[in-house]
Amino acid sequence: MKKLYSNKWIILSLVIPGIITFVFAILTPILLSLYYSLTDFAGIGKANFIGFENYKNLIKDKVFWVSLRNSLFLALGFIFIQHPIAIITAAILDKLQGKAEGFFRTIYFIPNVISVAIIAYLWKFIYNPNFGLLNNILKLFGYTNEINWLGKGMAIWSVIIVLIWHGFGWGMLIYYAGIKNINPILYEVAAIDGADAKTTFLKITLPLMKPVIQVNVTLAIIAALKQMETVYLLTNGGPGNETQFLANYLYKQAFNSFKYGYGNAISVVFIIICLASTIILNKIFSEKEYA
Amino acid sequence: MKKKLLSALIMVMLSISLVACGGNQMNSDSDSTQSQTDNENASEEIITIHVFTGLADRKTGTGLIEEILFEQYMKENPNIKIEVEALDGETYKTKFKAYATSSEMPDLLGVWGQPAFINEIIDAGLLAELNPEDYKDYGFVKGALDGFSKDGKLYGLPRSTDIMGFYYNKAIFEENGWEVPKTYNELIELAGKIREAGLIPVSMDGADKWPLAIYLNDLIAKIDGDNGDKISQSIANGDFSDPTYKKAAELLRKSVEAGLFQNGFETTDYATAFNLFANGQAAMYYMGNWEMSIATNPDVLPEIRENIGVFAMPEVEGGKGKVTDIAAWNGVGYSISANSPVKEEAIKLLNYMMKPENLSKLTWQNGVGMSAQDYSGYLTGDETVPQKIFTNILMEATSITGTPINDLGTSAFKTVCEDLCQELAIGAITPEEFIQKLEEATK
Amino acid sequence: MTTKIKNNKKTKVSKIIMMICLSIVAVIQIFPLIWLLDFSLASSNELFTTGLLIIPKKIQWGNYVKAFVDGNFLLYLKNSLLINGLSLVLVICISIITAFATTRMIWKLKTAVKTFLLLGMMIPIHATLLPNYIIYDRVGLTDTIWALLIPYVAFSLPQGLFLTSGFMEAIPKELEEAALIDGCGVYRIILIIIAPLMKSSVATVAIMTYLNNWNEFMMASTYLRSKTWKTLPFSVLEFTGQYSSDYAVQFAVMALTALPAIIIYIILNKHITKGVAMGAVKG
Repeated sequence: MKKLYSNKWIILSLVIPGIITFVFAILTPILLSLYYSLTDFAGIGKANFIGFENYKNLIKDKVFWVSLRNSLFLALGFIFIQHPIAIITAAILDKLQGKAEGFFRTIYFIPNVISVAIIAYLWKFIYNPNFGLLNNILKLFGYTNEINWLGKGMAIWSVIIVLIWHGFGWGMLIYYAGIKNINPILYEVAAIDGADAKTTFLKITLPLMKPVIQVNVTLAIIAALKQMETVYLLTNGGPGNETQFLANYLYKQAFNSFKYGYGNAISVVFIIICLASTIILNKIFSEKEYA
Repeated sequence: MKKKLLSALIMVMLSISLVACGGNQMNSDSDSTQSQTDNENASEEIITIHVFTGLADRKTGTGLIEEILFEQYMKENPNIKIEVEALDGETYKTKFKAYATSSEMPDLLGVWGQPAFINEIIDAGLLAELNPEDYKDYGFVKGALDGFSKDGKLYGLPRSTDIMGFYYNKAIFEENGWEVPKTYNELIELAGKIREAGLIPVSMDGADKWPLAIYLNDLIAKIDGDNGDKISQSIANGDFSDPTYKKAAELLRKSVEAGLFQNGFETTDYATAFNLFANGQAAMYYMGNWEMSIATNPDVLPEIRENIGVFAMPEVEGGKGKVTDIAAWNGVGYSISANSPVKEEAIKLLNYMMKPENLSKLTWQNGVGMSAQDYSGYLTGDETVPQKIFTNILMEATSITGTPINDLGTSAFKTVCEDLCQELAIGAITPEEFIQKLEEATK
Repeated sequence: MTTKIKNNKKTKVSKIIMMICLSIVAVIQIFPLIWLLDFSLASSNELFTTGLLIIPKKIQWGNYVKAFVDGNFLLYLKNSLLINGLSLVLVICISIITAFATTRMIWKLKTAVKTFLLLGMMIPIHATLLPNYIIYDRVGLTDTIWALLIPYVAFSLPQGLFLTSGFMEAIPKELEEAALIDGCGVYRIILIIIAPLMKSSVATVAIMTYLNNWNEFMMASTYLRSKTWKTLPFSVLEFTGQYSSDYAVQFAVMALTALPAIIIYIILNKHITKGVAMGAVKG
């Protein structure tokens, strides 16, 4: 067995497809990005080597920081709005039995399977200040001011709401699975001890869900950093650059302003930030576990 | 056993790579046939011309005219196949720039004959040179080719003469006893009355930002009158200290504060702005003459499309400009990719389209716009109201702004300038900051 | 006795409250889609009313006909299914063999290679948008199916590897030993012994890959130009330009384009729930 399992040719044949895909589709572009980020390449014409000029400009670029801030807001939105609702919904859902459970679960998840392109356009209509659904709802309650949901000061929150709405089913499902994994005997014991629903939730469900919550929080932060499509279609970073995110900003710089080198510098920093945050989060969570 | 499996695996891998290679093979095959056809008299070979156009709507307006002409051309030239990729406004510009960075530009391209758009791509050698001699008899109006030329060479042809104006709903105006404003103050006052009546005064596409920049430029024209190439100079020198700019910026901001545009105009995109007017939600709509086909658009309710009027930006109190100092230019047009494998055929197609009796005539007869060529021969007197008024505005013009401010610099300046116009309009920056940041953007 | 009745009452009340809570969330999640469906059957100017939902004056099935025909619905659906299907199969196959090599086979660099490949999970797909555009252009892959397949497979692979290798470690080695004694080679072991045992994790990988890629359109809109390989989101993107003044038709095309994904979801509901659950809890 050992001999067969250490046959170099077989090993090579097994790992080569994966490595080739990785190298061609991920590693090479990153290295190319790194190269372009050191030039003033405009996308057309010649590229001149300019050292770390792009990176220096990036640090001074307000929009870059706004993009990071928006990612942070979005992550907080996920963690403090989406996840609590998702956990509670999942816990209630767990108590339900039979058809209703499946019915609700299905409904919650439906927005998640719909393409972002549709979601973004749909919400553009919902948010329209002049004839959108949301203002029409407010009118029913007698509030007739036309709120400009995607306007200055509001836009980032409106974008976050769409993303929370769209991803809700996913988060809910993960928590639901986590709750299902909890040994039902624990609940029975709690019931015998006379614990009410609230105490059971706080004392049993939540603590046992800790690992799931940690995974979900990590995923939320990464998702917030990677955000692109919804913003591109919903606001394209506007008004001004209020709802800008890194991925969208690098696209705008490269293809709207012909700043290809600068766009690539953003790409590189983007990757570093994603890598760093994953590593840091993993560190934080694993340390806590041992503590 | 082992060997058999290994060979099976290799076979699978090989076949996969063969498929991959096959794909490439086919590509290069078609490439070579394309270049061959340039030499042979290609009666049998099908030549495909890729057209990339910013007119996404192929069923009305100028997009329809393009479709008609392509159909005709393919009928007359059975060996030509025209493949159209059409995208909308800003999406188009983004994709165009992506193409510019690639080696495979489409053959016939929609372009803007304005420095912010065309200079960089001309400098990069992406556009084919055209022979001005070919167009001697095409009747292009004076100066129309300037934006498409650089250093004495011609790189494109204009499709239209663009004029900005306020479309208004005559029925709504009459019902309420409102008059077409003669001065800018009257316009602002009127906005108040329209708001009281529960309507939107002017529907504005503020999400795409460029209409705001053009609006600002229109105000500059009314404040300054014929100012020659002052704006170009200001951009070149990075100096916007001339009081005109600040006054125009203040006026734009004041208009927004007075509620001239709809709530949330800064997030209203092109189509929505149009639809607010076309569905009777807005009494006026600030846009170019390329939307004049609203008067014949079957998707628009008849009680609205039959009651469309137009007026030019009114005079500004204390300004040197008259109402006849108008915001107009020859912006959109077509170019040919310099690296196109079917360059000659693409130029032939372009020349066919631009013949006066084709695009120019059809555009006018269908009431979808005004060409950059002399179309006076096609006037019948039965034109739609917007057609007549826009023609009048152009005929009586005492000066023409030419390319608007946002398109006079580099593409980077354009991005910043348009962002600034939006920020100014919504009050995120003051007129002073606007001027200061505009100067920074030129550096 | 009385306390029991009280308890029953209490549970009944709390059950009603629970149902109300769940229903509110359900309405929030689903109402925008009902609104979409409603106006997709109306005519455009009816959108400019103040009510929430309307009964269209006349049901406009024509909206859907336009959406179906002019939206290139069938072509784009076929492309979406094909591209997603192919990337699924590729991701699964490559994940399994790579996982086998890095968990079972004996070689020095295996942990290093695995960690290296797993790094891909943290790299945002859009960061490669610009450089890949240049690479594909030079290699001649733009406007081909490969321009989408390659990044889709590459960026789903790390996650696939992560999930499959996690499962593979849990499979007892005794099974393979028995097979080895029978004279099976490595490839055969993977195919006959390992793969069948991986069913549930393969399903998880499939679902994750599908959900990752079904939505993607930035790559598609940057790398493609002809209709040949465009995917479903393009129905919507192209339509908003084509029918910019006809909102009802735009609503129809949105509803129509959403439909395949919803149908796939409802058919595979159970598996998706399980898959997501497994992926997350294991992850």
